[in-house]
Amino acid sequence: MSGGSQARFDRRLATTGVAMLSVVLIIWTMLPLYNMVRVSLQGKDDVFSSSVFPTSWSLHSFTTVLHESYWLLANFWRQMGTSLYIGVIVALLTLAIGTLTSFTITRMRIKQAWMLTNAALLTYMIPMSFLAIPFYSIMGKYGLTNNPLAVIAVEVTFTTPYAIFIFKQYSASIPYELDEAARIDGASPPQIFFRIYLPLMAPALVAIGTYALLLSWNEYLYAFLLLSSDNNITVPVGLGKFLNSDEAPWNYLMAAAIIYALPPMAIYYAFRRKMSSGLTMGGVKG
Amino acid sequence: MTKLSRRHAIAGMGALTALKPRSSKAAEPVTVWWTQGFYEAENKAVIDAMAAWEKTTGTKVNLTIMNGPDLISKMIAAMQVGDVPDLVHSVTADRFLVPRAAWDDKLVDVSDVIDTQKHEFHQTALDSSRYYNLVQKKHSYYTVPIKCSTLMEQVWRPLIEDAGFSDKDIPTTQDAYYDFFQVVQDKLRGQGKRIYGLGYSMATKEADSGNLFHAFLVAYGGAGIVLPSGKLNIDDPAVRKAATTALDRLTGPYKKGYVPPGAINWGDVDNNNAFFAKQIVMTPNATISIAVAQMEKPEQYYKQVITQGMPNGNDGKPVLSVVSVSPCLIPKGAKNIDGAKALLKAFIQPDSLNSYLKETRGRYLPVMMTSIKNDPYWQDPTDPHRPVAVEAGLIRPSMPWWMTYNPAYSAVLSEQIWSQAEANITQKNMTPEQATEEAAGRIKSIFERFQIA
Repeated sequence: MSGGSQARFDRRLATTGVAMLSVVLIIWTMLPLYNMVRVSLQGKDDVFSSSVFPTSWSLHSFTTVLHESYWLLANFWRQMGTSLYIGVIVALLTLAIGTLTSFTITRMRIKQAWMLTNAALLTYMIPMSFLAIPFYSIMGKYGLTNNPLAVIAVEVTFTTPYAIFIFKQYSASIPYELDEAARIDGASPPQIFFRIYLPLMAPALVAIGTYALLLSWNEYLYAFLLLSSDNNITVPVGLGKFLNSDEAPWNYLMAAAIIYALPPMAIYYAFRRKMSSGLTMGGVKG
Repeated sequence: MTKLSRRHAIAGMGALTALKPRSSKAAEPVTVWWTQGFYEAENKAVIDAMAAWEKTTGTKVNLTIMNGPDLISKMIAAMQVGDVPDLVHSVTADRFLVPRAAWDDKLVDVSDVIDTQKHEFHQTALDSSRYYNLVQKKHSYYTVPIKCSTLMEQVWRPLIEDAGFSDKDIPTTQDAYYDFFQVVQDKLRGQGKRIYGLGYSMATKEADSGNLFHAFLVAYGGAGIVLPSGKLNIDDPAVRKAATTALDRLTGPYKKGYVPPGAINWGDVDNNNAFFAKQIVMTPNATISIAVAQMEKPEQYYKQVITQGMPNGNDGKPVLSVVSVSPCLIPKGAKNIDGAKALLKAFIQPDSLNSYLKETRGRYLPVMMTSIKNDPYWQDPTDPHRPVAVEAGLIRPSMPWWMTYNPAYSAVLSEQIWSQAEANITQKNMTPEQATEEAAGRIKSIFERFQIA
């Protein structure tokens, strides 16, 4: 075999290998999602059939969820509203605290500000579950148990350290000369913050806002620990109630889970370009 | 039927003005955490009962219904920080919460509540509610029994018929019983059907595998692993032999391919699901939930699914049923103990309790024999499952779980020591004797921390 044909053979082999690996990875990744959809389209009795494709499919599970016409789904939309409320407030508070802190640290050039960043990162190192009991105690003392504000407070505590870190890294890419020019023109720190800093931080804001929203959207431990009544719980906790029974209607559960996954998917795809640039730029600028 | 039951419950609760709390504290609301039911009607029965009591007494009830595992986690957190509800009902508290909480003096003594119905309660239910309090150095009632269950067998009739057998061919003694399903599997495999004969739960998680091991342990003569005095008796040769035999009889069929390979990862619902998928011919289950799930399909409920009690011992004599009792409890630190006790006294009136339990569709059994005697629902001869469950749990000789003798056994169950021993045999090729020895060592070290004077 000549050198040229050997190279062509190697290239084809590599391409075939990559293609095969990709197919395996796609199947590996998509199979649980496919199974979710398959189960949601089947009747309760067919859920555990070994058939790869739905034997007889219908949208009954989805209409049941939409109309809340199953007893465990009686408050689904209310719970969806609670999840959305918590997610949006957590995202907004994370952005507000994160940007103000990073602006203060990086643009106001406060002495020893690095200590604040490091302290925040230190709290990020502690797993969320370790603090469950202390948080439960604190919220009990504040009279905030069974109140979504308790979950918001906890989740903001966990999202802000990462937000501060990313914002601080990202803002290093924004020339400080812009601030100096603005100051020469008479801009006050709040004006610099709102008119220069925030617009230039847009990709990072989108990335961190989405991160905070998704984290609180999917969070279970604190939501179930701090919220109790059906009127206040989030969708993940509500769906957890399905798993109380060996008669769980998996088709309704999967349909509800798919509907619940739609908003974050929409947000992710709407902002995915800005998200990736926001997250990766923070990592390379220093 | 359902409406009538609920009406009875409400009427029963409403008539209880004599039990109205009299202390000034009783005017405060009673905060109740209750395990979510399997059915909407079950939850509604609780909600209605609480509402009726509210109306009668004028005391507000803040009722929160949550799923079982969440409730236990939340209770542990609440007890840690001292911000507890007034009254709790949990299906698994007898296993994972109460024994050690009573030991640590974290539960209110509810003997006065028990006394109001002591003559009604089944003896095993009473025995299951009595725990040792290390701080006060006494045994007392720290829970009030609400419902109970014990292990039973569920069998697919069409599958044993496909193998050429009938119900009457199923043996009634321990070893012959389980060996029979291996023969059924061989016959079905001969027909090209990929079905497993035995649906043993063997995972190191949740409750089913522990239920199964302990039923085997008792069947082979190991009921005395912990003595009623609380002393560990695992060095008794008879107990040691029973444990070894139980491990051998559970793991042997697994290694020979008579149990689905995935059974070592089964959660409590997975044997039910394997059964529904007809992957297995039979499975031991802690309630008649498998049959009840088919209640709306008369063909399956009445003809295809068989419920049987556990087989007799190899000597042909009935084996003690190990009965799990789901309790109500009042944690120390509750703000309205008087109100919680008054509510509980009303709830355990025989008619009220019976009406609530019927909404579980027989998944759980009553803890009062009057319910069985006075209400034909429980022994309805046309029902192929409920009377069998009543016989297995309430009429046959029974015993409580060993953590009522010593809370150390609660830790043995939490740590899944016996399921781990099964895994040591199936995954690490230990012999049953080696696995028993290792388990015994760990159990002894746990018991050292729980010495009853």
